[in-house]
Amino acid sequence: MKADRTIDCTGLFCPMPIVKVKREITKMKPGEILEIIADDPGFEKDLPSWCAMSGEIFLSLKKDGPIITGYIQKK
Amino acid sequence: MKDKMTIILFSGDLDKAIAAFTLATTAAASDMEVTIFFTFWGLNVIKKKRFTLSSPQNLMQRMFNIMSTGCLPTSKLNMAGLGAWMMKKMMKKARAASLSELMQLARELKVKFIACTTSLGVLGLTKEDLIEDIDEFAGASTYLAEAKAAKINLFI
Repeated sequence: MKADRTIDCTGLFCPMPIVKVKREITKMKPGEILEIIADDPGFEKDLPSWCAMSGEIFLSLKKDGPIITGYIQKK
Repeated sequence: MKDKMTIILFSGDLDKAIAAFTLATTAAASDMEVTIFFTFWGLNVIKKKRFTLSSPQNLMQRMFNIMSTGCLPTSKLNMAGLGAWMMKKMMKKARAASLSELMQLARELKVKFIACTTSLGVLGLTKEDLIEDIDEFAGASTYLAEAKAAKINLFI
């Protein structure tokens, strides 16, 4: 998937990845896609949950070993 | 209208404060309006200095203040501060956010801080003893009015 922006949250634990996602998405325009790379295992569930709360659009998530890559779209 | 969350931070323990601020920052990053009501031991978390004799305190208040000097303890296995020291080391090693970082984040995310005036009075503390960015000084009614409008209310 082609992303407009990417943030690296590897090595970070809750709540930092979500806080970074929030910070980044506020700088983006509606429709733009954000790619997030993380390795906190909880992030796999936290990202879609956060999207459900914040209203941003959850697109997809893939796992490659411990690395989780998520894609969300700004509403 | 935004969803609301409130937390009463009654504990002055390092681990519990970290839990409270983790939830507060996550909720604020999820577009919720978050209020933390600091009362009793929880006031230790927002004290400017851990030990102060600047304000007029009676003997017992002074003793309380002296006894809650030093770093915030852990709620279990504190062992005169060794546990808290170890926990901070472990968190740093794991690159987890520290309490001060979480508190800083909470301020950036506009989490509202309310300090309980009754507890301040009982403990002989004044506004000057607390960190500067306290939004309100109030009591139970103010908290309840916020909690009534909130979907999530926690007592930690």
